[in-house]
Amino acid sequence: MKEAMRAIIKKDLKGITANKRLFSTLLIVPLVLTIVMPTIFILVIHFVPEETDDFQQLLKMLPMAKQTGDFSLTVIGLILNYILPVFFLMIPIMTASIMAASSFVGEKEKHTLETLLYCPLTLKQIFRSKVFASFLLSMIVSFFSFFTMLIVLEAEILFFTGNLVLPDVNWLVIMLLISPAISLIAITLIVRGSAKAQSVEESQQGAVFLILPIILLVVGQFTGILLISFWILLGLGIVCALLAWLLLKKSMGRFTYEMLLR
Amino acid sequence: MNAVAIESLSKQYPGGKQALSHIDITLKQGEVFGFLGPNGAGKTTTVKILNGILTPSEGSCRVLGTDPVKNPEKVHALSGVVTEHAQMYDNLTGLQNLVFYGSVFGLTASESERRANTLLEELELTEAKDRKLAAYSTGMRQRLSLARALIHQPKVLFLDEPTSGLDPESAQNVNHLIRRLAEEAGITVFLCTHQLRYAQEICTRYGLIDRGKLLASGSLEELRAETSSRIAVKIRASRIPELLPCRKIGEQEFEIEIQSEKEIPRIVRQIVEDGGDIYQVNPRQPSLEDIYFTLTSKQKEAEE
Repeated sequence: MKEAMRAIIKKDLKGITANKRLFSTLLIVPLVLTIVMPTIFILVIHFVPEETDDFQQLLKMLPMAKQTGDFSLTVIGLILNYILPVFFLMIPIMTASIMAASSFVGEKEKHTLETLLYCPLTLKQIFRSKVFASFLLSMIVSFFSFFTMLIVLEAEILFFTGNLVLPDVNWLVIMLLISPAISLIAITLIVRGSAKAQSVEESQQGAVFLILPIILLVVGQFTGILLISFWILLGLGIVCALLAWLLLKKSMGRFTYEMLLR
Repeated sequence: MNAVAIESLSKQYPGGKQALSHIDITLKQGEVFGFLGPNGAGKTTTVKILNGILTPSEGSCRVLGTDPVKNPEKVHALSGVVTEHAQMYDNLTGLQNLVFYGSVFGLTASESERRANTLLEELELTEAKDRKLAAYSTGMRQRLSLARALIHQPKVLFLDEPTSGLDPESAQNVNHLIRRLAEEAGITVFLCTHQLRYAQEICTRYGLIDRGKLLASGSLEELRAETSSRIAVKIRASRIPELLPCRKIGEQEFEIEIQSEKEIPRIVRQIVEDGGDIYQVNPRQPSLEDIYFTLTSKQKEAEE
């Protein structure tokens, strides 16, 4: 990657991290989703009487392989390995959308876009720098949340049950393939929208319009896929990654400086 | 190789507005070219086309042999641009801004910082270098923009109204800097302005544009010859012979219009022979402003 592209990425990331209030919100929301919520679950499981009918019904529907002897451990394993992964599809997209939506149009509103266009980079390279900046931020937040979640939850599980419930192999595919690929797709589309938008508001509204269907459709179905098979998950991940690569390559093909500044 | 070559360049905006029609300009390397005209004449459009930001509707142009339509990024590597809408980041300091643009132009961090500090010093911004841009005045921003355009040592400099918003002293400094860049570093300067007096101080050649049409181009002498503007000679004398076709403009002050300076000795002789005392003879060549107004009024007449 060119030094110039790195400079743009660094500048964009600094722009977000320098805004302490915005950056702390970006970190706190994922942590609430991945730490506070599962902690409440674990507490409920620990203190609520074991033989609740609803839970038993739910457990009966699970494949046999997923059930261990202990009720608490089974439910905790269910949460850790089937519910929490879904959050890691949402978190990177949510995080990146803030930055991606203002990537081009934000510069336009600050009258700095024209200056940026006078630099010796092609439009495609500028576009990619913008995408990578948002992508990097989303991955930093996503991995930070993941490891914090893992440490806190394992400590809690150990404290309440005396055992550890380890994350299964699906997590590897999710964190390293599906989550990056899906967020890259979303970011590319949002940055592209930002290049066409006339104002930051318009771009953000467009981004929400784009994110909601993804969250509702993909995320809603995701728990099911996790239950079916590791290989389907892996296949899906590869398809998403290919799609992301294709989108990134083909985007901005017909864009001109004139269109951006209009 | 010419620094800038524009051939029959036209631009029509999508709305139908004809911003430029069939412009021809050639700039040699090291020239300071004054592109003069009122607001909305097409100066900024020309600069944007030369940098590939706008695509021409007709004609072609080249900057140091490179076509900005095909390879805008190659032109950008060779040129520095200052325009009204090319601003910098308010949340960064002056120095941070320059270092950022330096690295965007491929300089290493230490190199950018060294260049930035030199330029900040030259443009008298050293004291403000660690202040956020949000606290800069219009004049300071304008000077920082010039520093930004120079950070990568461009071969061609496109300046769109670089002295607008500057106080007379800063404008003078900026002008000196521009002239020095051209003379010492051999940078070609394409200067768009409507401040004709400043332009006359630093430009070696001019192009006058109005409503998208190039009215004339050339050195001051060439423009004078082209417009056949007369020289106005102001004379302060006790009396003037009646046969001289002069205009009284004050107490013992007269003005005579002549074609060339060669007529002056004859006039002086006539006054002296007539018994008049001469205190002052002051020929005034038509300034850029005079030429500009002559040309624009000619253009208006032609259109009517």
